[in-house]
Amino acid sequence: MKRFLVVIALALLALCGCQRGSDRNAGRPRIALVLKTLNNPFFIDMQRGAEEAATRLGVDLIVQAAEREIDVDKQLQIVENLIQSKIDAICITPSGSREIVPAVVKANQAHIPVVIVDTRVDAATLKEAGGVIAAFIGSDNFEGGKLAGEFIVKALGGKGSVAILEGIPGHETGDSRLRGFHSVVDGQTGLKIVASQPANWERDQGFNVFQNILQSHPDLKAVFACSDLMALGAVEAIRAAKRDNIIVVGFDAFSEAQDAVKAGTMHATIAQSPSTMGALAVENALHALRGEPLQENIQVNIKLVTKENAS
Amino acid sequence: MGAEFRISRNRQIGTLSGLLGLCGVLWILSPYFLTVSNLLNIAEQTSIIAVVAAGMTFVIITAGIDLSVGSLLAFSGVVMASSLAAGRSIPLALTIGLLVGLACGIGNGVLISIGRLPPFIATLGMMSIARGAALLFTQGRPISGFSETFRSIATTDVLRVPFPVIVMIAVYVISHLILTRTKLGRYAYAIGGNETTAYLSGVNVRLYKTAVYGLSGMCSALAAVLLTARLNSAQPIAGINYELDAIAAVVIGGTSLMGGEGTVSGTLIGALIIGVLRNGLNLLAVSSFIQQIVIGSVIVTAVLLDTFFKRRKK
Repeated sequence: MKRFLVVIALALLALCGCQRGSDRNAGRPRIALVLKTLNNPFFIDMQRGAEEAATRLGVDLIVQAAEREIDVDKQLQIVENLIQSKIDAICITPSGSREIVPAVVKANQAHIPVVIVDTRVDAATLKEAGGVIAAFIGSDNFEGGKLAGEFIVKALGGKGSVAILEGIPGHETGDSRLRGFHSVVDGQTGLKIVASQPANWERDQGFNVFQNILQSHPDLKAVFACSDLMALGAVEAIRAAKRDNIIVVGFDAFSEAQDAVKAGTMHATIAQSPSTMGALAVENALHALRGEPLQENIQVNIKLVTKENAS
Repeated sequence: MGAEFRISRNRQIGTLSGLLGLCGVLWILSPYFLTVSNLLNIAEQTSIIAVVAAGMTFVIITAGIDLSVGSLLAFSGVVMASSLAAGRSIPLALTIGLLVGLACGIGNGVLISIGRLPPFIATLGMMSIARGAALLFTQGRPISGFSETFRSIATTDVLRVPFPVIVMIAVYVISHLILTRTKLGRYAYAIGGNETTAYLSGVNVRLYKTAVYGLSGMCSALAAVLLTARLNSAQPIAGINYELDAIAAVVIGGTSLMGGEGTVSGTLIGALIIGVLRNGLNLLAVSSFIQQIVIGSVIVTAVLLDTFFKRRKK
């Protein structure tokens, strides 16, 4: 009996944390933003952008995320639970391009529009499962990879060995960045990619993997990390190995990375605009709800950030 | 034996009232909670961890621990998926997957019973070995895109009840029967209660310990089947931290980490408590940071109360 009471007390405690969510005004559209994780500044920026748009547009925004970026099943569970709560529209940043498809199909069956943000859904899998999405909002990651490749080619004068830190293999976002990077670098006969290994988007893995790469390639001249977190891990590894003259290029341009570019420990990063993505996600979800026509593919601007324009 | 059974019965009623109380609170707080479709949704979401936790219950009753369940899930999942992708029939691929889980589990058992390694160490090693094997086997990439028939393992409903839930119920009925009606079950309690006494009374401790870890490995492989069909993808990085969820379900369900006591029905209730909490916190739009705090507090509280009552009874 005592246990019973304690569990109730705990649940009531939980209620205190969610007052904001439950005093919703009747009639306001409820839109959910399901992020990969909230322990990455990129997604926190996206959340902020979405929240600002929600306030502006009079939308009740619910933000949920899995604890770990790789947890595709947890993300599916969150979407299922949101469907149960009769949400009006869902925006998702998929943890897996294929693994998210069952979630999209379930939302379709419940007639809830789905807006995909940041990471594309695998088109073939989606089609095969008979799912539809209202819109995709994301950066042109291929273009970003190209910008990073061009920067490294210029910085090295077209000569030297280069390493790559990849994200989680099979992630469309990282794969496009890699393809963009390769499209520039592979044509350079003087440049050699000596290592290309996944560090799963994580800072500590970026550190460990790059430390090992440094060990085995004493002549390394540059590294392209598919995300800033991994790039910052690489910067630490370079510092620990007391090496210098290694060009570090990241991707995302969140504030810590911009600081590193200003300080010269990183040399460039690619700016996406996650807060714009978050805002566009909410706006487009609202359009979809009202049955207004949507642009299917919305590209958000991307640009190279170097010491000259870091903020 | 009779008195002991009553105690575990009482404890189970405590856990069950915890679950019902939690449901009651959520029913008051959210209009979406107590609907047939949401309850089935919770059962479906719980099924994978619950299947893993069923095997874990046996292990913990023998006073052991199995940290490798999540990695075994990933490894057996990718092996099964690759046989499907290679065009083998579904029953054959499922058998291969289950055998991989069984074999790795038996590997754990041999290390523990014959190699005399502490279960924590043996399964910690296996956790890393199986994870590495899964990554190596797939080169780090998920295997996805299965036939409609295979996916129907996760998508079929029987009288609205999702098939994974039926699998979960079957696993628990069978586990309950094994634990209460067979030598394996009785010896598991005996080994967990006092291994030396069990050995001196003629129990083949090595054999039964190995069998228990084999069973746990097979449960992970079965969970892998459900997860792969559900996501239409087998990931080498699947199942990370599942050992913690499974252990949590087992201890919330009243099984003692010291071994010698526990029930699978308690574990099922424990798994459902975690599932209901996660679902409820989602429905109430609680921030995901607070969710982790709430879930952790519930685990600690459940076990705290358990120890408290146990001490008072003594």
